[in-house]
Amino acid sequence: MSVTFESLRAGDSIDGPIFPVSRESIRLFCDASLDYNPLHLDDEYMEGNFGKTHFGGIIMHGMNNFGLISRMITDWAYAAGAIHRRLETRWIKPVRPGDTIQPVGTVRSKQTTAKSHWVLIDVTVCNQTGEKVASGEAMVEFPAT
Amino acid sequence: MGQTERFETDFWKHANLRKVWDDIVPGEPRKTIPYTLTREAIELYCASVGEDHPIYFDEEYAKRTIYGGLIAPPSIHILLMFACTPADDWMRSPGTVNAGQSWSYNIPARPGDVITLQARALDKFIRRERLFVVHDNVFFNQQGQVICSGRGWTIRPQ
Repeated sequence: MSVTFESLRAGDSIDGPIFPVSRESIRLFCDASLDYNPLHLDDEYMEGNFGKTHFGGIIMHGMNNFGLISRMITDWAYAAGAIHRRLETRWIKPVRPGDTIQPVGTVRSKQTTAKSHWVLIDVTVCNQTGEKVASGEAMVEFPAT
Repeated sequence: MGQTERFETDFWKHANLRKVWDDIVPGEPRKTIPYTLTREAIELYCASVGEDHPIYFDEEYAKRTIYGGLIAPPSIHILLMFACTPADDWMRSPGTVNAGQSWSYNIPARPGDVITLQARALDKFIRRERLFVVHDNVFFNQQGQVICSGRGWTIRPQ
């Protein structure tokens, strides 16, 4: 059953897709996003240091997290006749081939403005050990009917 | 994979032409190029993140929705950022680390849209010895309507 603005409560949760990360999934994201930064392709390059950061191998695009979170929000919103309006994210830990990640959303609050209804959603992405790799917040509009 | 045939995938190739952090002038417009978004590019992007909603693939379904036809996922700006910037743009500098992004969505991009980008660095700063740039980007369709707008924070290679 799809949600409505009226029925939503703070604390309601949204489960996002479980996404296994592999060298192939990262390579596909390179082709799909045209982001061929060697961070995502070149193991030899990734043996080096980046200022104070050492990755030690290729990492997934941060925007791959963003795309997964966005997929979770849109699939949830479409079913409710609502519109994904905003997403802000921060990357907390690198994601590597072999990791499995999943975004999860939690309704933080609802707000009614002069012309519409809005739901604010806190988002986290965790890896297979439960470590948080990204966090953010989304805004979904439930148009006034 | 039509788009990769035209797109330079070796990000080292133009590395010496690109601005480093010191050269970046906040407020100065970046050179951008119009990009025609195809159904194939949308489908490839969808495959890379597992998007499977019929609004992106099934024309008959899409026609019956409030959108009246196929659309791209909002996060298609991930592709558009690279598609609309030239090979010597500093966003492609190897070692550029994405620290965070925020995007607002107005209307969806659609297959066949000719998309333009207005982009610039809005700010630059040093924090914990890292060189940051704040990116400011707005995508438009061929009717001049805003598709989406976003900020990004990147750490520049040094």
